[in-house]
Amino acid sequence: MSDSDTADFLLDARGTSRDLGAYVVGLSFSREGRLGLGLGDGTVRIADPRDPQGDWITAAAHDGAVLSFCADAADGFLSGGDDGRLVRTAPDGAVTELAQLGTMKWVEQVAAHDSGLRAASVGKQLHLFDAKGAKLKTLVHPSSVGGIAFDAKGKRVAASHYNGASLWFVGSKEDKPRLLEWKGSHAAIAISPDGTHVVTAMQENALHGWRLADGQHMRMSGYPSKTHFLSFTGRGRWLATSGADSVVVWPFFGGGPMGKAPTELAGGDGVLCSAVACHPQHEVVAAGFADGLVLLAEIGSGKVVPVAAPGHGSITALGWNAGGTHLAFGTEQGFAGLVDLSKR
Amino acid sequence: MSETTQIPVTVLTGYLGAGKTTLLNRILSENHGKKFAVVINEFGELGVDNDLVVDADEEVFEMNNGCICCTVRGDLIRIIGGLMKRRGKFDGIIVETTGLADPAPVAQTFFADEDVKRATRLDAIVTVVDAKNLPARLKDSKEAEEQIAFADIILLNKMDLVTEDEAAEVERKIRAINPWAEIRRSTKSAVPIDAVIGREAFDLKRILEREPEFLSGEDDHEHDSEVMSVSFEVSKPVDPEKFNAWMTQLLASKGQDLLRTKGILYYANDDRRFAFQAVHMIADGDFIGPVRDGDPHKSKIVFIGRDLNRPQLRRGFEGCQAEG
Repeated sequence: MSDSDTADFLLDARGTSRDLGAYVVGLSFSREGRLGLGLGDGTVRIADPRDPQGDWITAAAHDGAVLSFCADAADGFLSGGDDGRLVRTAPDGAVTELAQLGTMKWVEQVAAHDSGLRAASVGKQLHLFDAKGAKLKTLVHPSSVGGIAFDAKGKRVAASHYNGASLWFVGSKEDKPRLLEWKGSHAAIAISPDGTHVVTAMQENALHGWRLADGQHMRMSGYPSKTHFLSFTGRGRWLATSGADSVVVWPFFGGGPMGKAPTELAGGDGVLCSAVACHPQHEVVAAGFADGLVLLAEIGSGKVVPVAAPGHGSITALGWNAGGTHLAFGTEQGFAGLVDLSKR
Repeated sequence: MSETTQIPVTVLTGYLGAGKTTLLNRILSENHGKKFAVVINEFGELGVDNDLVVDADEEVFEMNNGCICCTVRGDLIRIIGGLMKRRGKFDGIIVETTGLADPAPVAQTFFADEDVKRATRLDAIVTVVDAKNLPARLKDSKEAEEQIAFADIILLNKMDLVTEDEAAEVERKIRAINPWAEIRRSTKSAVPIDAVIGREAFDLKRILEREPEFLSGEDDHEHDSEVMSVSFEVSKPVDPEKFNAWMTQLLASKGQDLLRTKGILYYANDDRRFAFQAVHMIADGDFIGPVRDGDPHKSKIVFIGRDLNRPQLRRGFEGCQAEG
């Protein structure tokens, strides 16, 4: 993997890269298929995977930095900034402010669901908006929200905070959350694709999970650093995580992860895995490392294929398109790559 | 990431009305060509004029790492993570705390969180005090005392409101709590920016560089406050294993009462000096270069804390000397 000529083979042969000049905070493929990246200089960049060599659009979305980024509910992208704004960027780069959520306040988390729901958190508050951008409700938490996630159906939204996470029914008349308690500070959060488990990443270099059926706790520890990325495989059998010097994947079947050891992929270089993204269908994980290496690892076989060589800064954003044919990544130095992995 | 890329962070503490925000605005408005990101709290009295101001909630979290007094500022961890996304747009970070804030969680955030530690370094804790009202504050507020105990630089402000005798008495009270802080007298928080910014007070290389100032007859004088400081010196070389064992045990059992600890040690059979510091239970230490010619080879340790048992601490430190 240290041979950069071969490590960059996929990026060179089947991809394109750009130096965008600012920290890549987040990336996502929009529901109509474009790649969007939210950057530390406040811009949103948009690439068309059907014409990767063409010009990437630059949209001035925020005055400051983009802090949170996702695909919007129908098309285009949603971003939150340190200017306190929640902004939608259309596929053609047109920018619309959906809400101004406070002065000197940061919009730290955003999420959207294809039902039209949008969510944005500012401090302890989680604001929900409908497809037209009208505010539905504001859900308040005991402390600042560290991460948010919709379930697959868009019926529930989960928010992590200090001493646990809150699980809310979006359509409920009475806004009373189910409180998932566990002492400590919780940040990144994920709901399993079948909606049965909630997992958070904690300040203490460990994950915590709750099986919703019976409230059973799951403790997954042993990480040398904080986990920032949690990603379930398409059918939810595995949870891939960053934060170790390998890609740590936990089994969510056969009674796991309780009492089961995780599988470690692509380790051994002593470099921390900084980002993971599971393929939307296959049991394959894309992983980015602190030295800039990007690779694909197949969970069943442990087989590893390099995508991009180290050297452009720690991987801070990583994601697949819905069809699983394109993978994109971004780094803290502002380097971004888009690779076509479809059968030819 | 190399040390030079770490962004310096200055923490501004001080009781309500002491002149903190005036100092902050002075730092920001002075023509120094530097850009700062400023983290303020939502109850600030005065406006702050700066491009990059973040309103923080002062959320203090316990870390479950087996250390009972390890609290950190959760909001600060998130804010520093966010600021790193616009790296290169500013030269330093200034964190202003509320008047009632305990400085420990702020300081500990810079040692306990690895992401924060990688991106930033704590430059100094600057405490602004009101020369006229400090004696009263010390009587009725635990926080006022802690803010002095934690300080590297103390701005003795509102000097226009006190006589020289009153000022000297306030300085005596400050010294009884904190022997190493540099005291700067000021009126309307008017001090040169380099008196408070770029101090590298937490740099191990500069630990106890200034001779701590203890009051004469320190053992006898009555204390107005619970917080006190003690210092010990030994001339025989220190056994690193004994010192580590003693310090580990001491911080574990007494860390809640030990606010700040600093030491310079001369180890047996080593021609380098070892510097050591701790904020409550969180310790940090490293070799800081060779012993210099004419160096008296005296190992020294200074504690600031509550209920310090002087004879016990002295025996403990003396017991760390190497045999023979």
